[in-house]
Amino acid sequence: MITRTFSHLVLALIVFIWIVPFVALVSTSLRSETEAKTSGFWTAFTPTVLGHRFSTHDKGSTVEFIEMSGNIFDRLNGEKSGFLVSGEVQSILIKARIMNPDKPGKTKLIRKLVPAGEPFETRGGSLVFQSNGDFTWTFPEATAPKPKKLDVFINQDPIFGADAYIEVLFDNKNVPNALISSFIVTIPATIIPITIAAFAAYAFAWMQFPGRDWLFVLVVSLMVVPTQLAFLPILQGFSGIASWATALNAWLTDCEINDSCQVASKSFASLWITHTAFGLPLAIYLLRNYIVGLPKELLQSARIDGASHLQIFTRIIIPLSVPALASFSIFQFLWVWNDLIVALYIGPNNASDLVFPIRLQKQLGTFKDQLHLLNASAVISMIVPVIVFLSMQRYFIRGLLAGSVKGG
Amino acid sequence: MAQVELKRVNKFFGETEVIRNVDLEISKGEFVVFVGPSGCGKSTLLRLIAGLETLTGGDIAIADKTVTDLPPSKRGIAMVFQSYALYPHMTVFHNMAFSLDLQGLPRKEIKERVEKAAQILQMESLLDRKPAALSGGQRQRVAIGRAIVRNPDVFLFDEPLSNLDAALRHDTRVEIARLHSQLDATTIYVTHDQVEAMTLADKIVVLKDGEVMQTGKPMDLFNRPENEFVAGFLGSPTMNFFDGVLGPVVNDVNLAEFHGQGMELRDVPLVSTEKASGTTVRLGIRPQHLVLDPKGALKGKVTLVEQLGTETIIELMSPQKVLFRYASSEQIDLIAGQHASFSFDVGKAHIF
Repeated sequence: MITRTFSHLVLALIVFIWIVPFVALVSTSLRSETEAKTSGFWTAFTPTVLGHRFSTHDKGSTVEFIEMSGNIFDRLNGEKSGFLVSGEVQSILIKARIMNPDKPGKTKLIRKLVPAGEPFETRGGSLVFQSNGDFTWTFPEATAPKPKKLDVFINQDPIFGADAYIEVLFDNKNVPNALISSFIVTIPATIIPITIAAFAAYAFAWMQFPGRDWLFVLVVSLMVVPTQLAFLPILQGFSGIASWATALNAWLTDCEINDSCQVASKSFASLWITHTAFGLPLAIYLLRNYIVGLPKELLQSARIDGASHLQIFTRIIIPLSVPALASFSIFQFLWVWNDLIVALYIGPNNASDLVFPIRLQKQLGTFKDQLHLLNASAVISMIVPVIVFLSMQRYFIRGLLAGSVKGG
Repeated sequence: MAQVELKRVNKFFGETEVIRNVDLEISKGEFVVFVGPSGCGKSTLLRLIAGLETLTGGDIAIADKTVTDLPPSKRGIAMVFQSYALYPHMTVFHNMAFSLDLQGLPRKEIKERVEKAAQILQMESLLDRKPAALSGGQRQRVAIGRAIVRNPDVFLFDEPLSNLDAALRHDTRVEIARLHSQLDATTIYVTHDQVEAMTLADKIVVLKDGEVMQTGKPMDLFNRPENEFVAGFLGSPTMNFFDGVLGPVVNDVNLAEFHGQGMELRDVPLVSTEKASGTTVRLGIRPQHLVLDPKGALKGKVTLVEQLGTETIIELMSPQKVLFRYASSEQIDLIAGQHASFSFDVGKAHIF
């Protein structure tokens, strides 16, 4: 019982630690620029006192009046479409003259917070405001004062809006292009290795050929090779291929005319090949271990029924390996989707083909302190794997083998 | 004409010889049971016939065709596995149709053949279910149905009842016997259960350490075992054995005298004719063939009484410290510690 409670506590702690950055990211991306800059995400959910500046009326008005009334919130929100300020007006910061306690007979200019309901003098008139934002400005005689800008502190209600998302998605093509590029890289870089690995895993698990076990050990040991270590030879290889392709292009087509013979060595295809190569060892290892655990009798029964290796593979093994295939494809998808370094060194480097992680890295420079925009981009890049995970989840069904063999 | 013929079949797993020169002929329509203790090679022999293992030496012919080098699917066999080995992602219909589908038969014919097999096994209503939604007995029927639709020359069963509970085991055994008579199919059936062997078989093949110990009709094996192993393996409780010395042999009728255990017996059937007078031999007599007789020469002290209602099994210790059993279909009022003596019909005893 105690161990269970303890494990629940540990679990809750882990969930909390993981969820906090996510909440921070999402909440910040939904806040206004001012709020995102001036207060932490943890204040986004409760009323927070924030300073604003409003002017009493529009410039250039010559209408004379004795008493003017208005509303601070109306003045603040004006023509704004999103992030309308609401809440409770707490105080207005004014400059006032008081008797100087240090120098008797002299006055001193101080800053003073005037609470709601307490009139104060400005531009020769008396201004009083209520906490709901209504204010009245009265003068002894009709006059046309210039607008007065006042700093007001408002205990502001939480407010969220999708403005940052609209901005990053539609203001320019950077984020949409990054999304498309990332899909172009990730989908083949997931499907190609899993297809090859499934075939290889079947062969390693159920086919007899000389050197099988040694070959498997070799493949598995390739998992320890770090990607970074292989960058140089891989780049050399790709540039070699690219120069061959360029020469072939020049020989086969009349590309010399407009000088378009050059085949890029860094392309989507080089990313597919690299991710396939580095994903295969783990994929083969995982799938082989799963497939070798399938009941032997099933395969023998299929052999008696007249199935060839290919038919056993496609009609028995693949349908029964769906959980393993799904879990590996999620691994590979996440790894490729979030990959920065391989894309940076081996992927295409023209601006429109940059994948999402590189785009995010570049936004760090362009958006600088515009946290709401940075976070909106980050959330967009996160949403895709989340959707992939949730849609794959139904394949992680247990008991797929139920009813097949004894005890199943 | 033999439907299945095994000629000097050999199998090694590495250095271990698991099947030693097995010769066997099975006629068309015959129900043959391979029986023996665990590790005797009976399943391996079946898998050799199925083609799931490769022969080390010898030849196998099915329906007058040498199949030694053919893959399982080309041998005209169908196999029912101990674990059923149903394809879990397919419905019962598709499980049964799988082999026909692979042969490329037209859909209509596949449907007809599957439905006919389902009708024979009375499971038409199960065709749309997945194996997970079936009981153990139903899964067993699907496995058999999958074999039937292939219309094979030979059916192979690998301990098909061992995963069923006792009641279901009896029903399914009866069902298999009914199917065999209905389909008149050549069948090879592997089991370690002698009741299954005795009730189902036209011919029993008793195996031990990869060697055929004896082949024959169930009652012939029971009544005239050719060696001590077969005598001890068939029958429950197992046969009693007593050490002794062989007396003079009457060679032309194979009867001999036996001296030992305080018994002087004449005209006991001698199993091995090679034994010479004076050699050490063993006398075998089934517990059921003992008769309580106050004047009997076989004496013992009761050590255990098992009252089964329909049968009483009594374990005794002879004065020579040999444990033996007495079984009677009557309820006997003996208790542990009492002494009893028995006589028996020497014609039902065997000298090994």
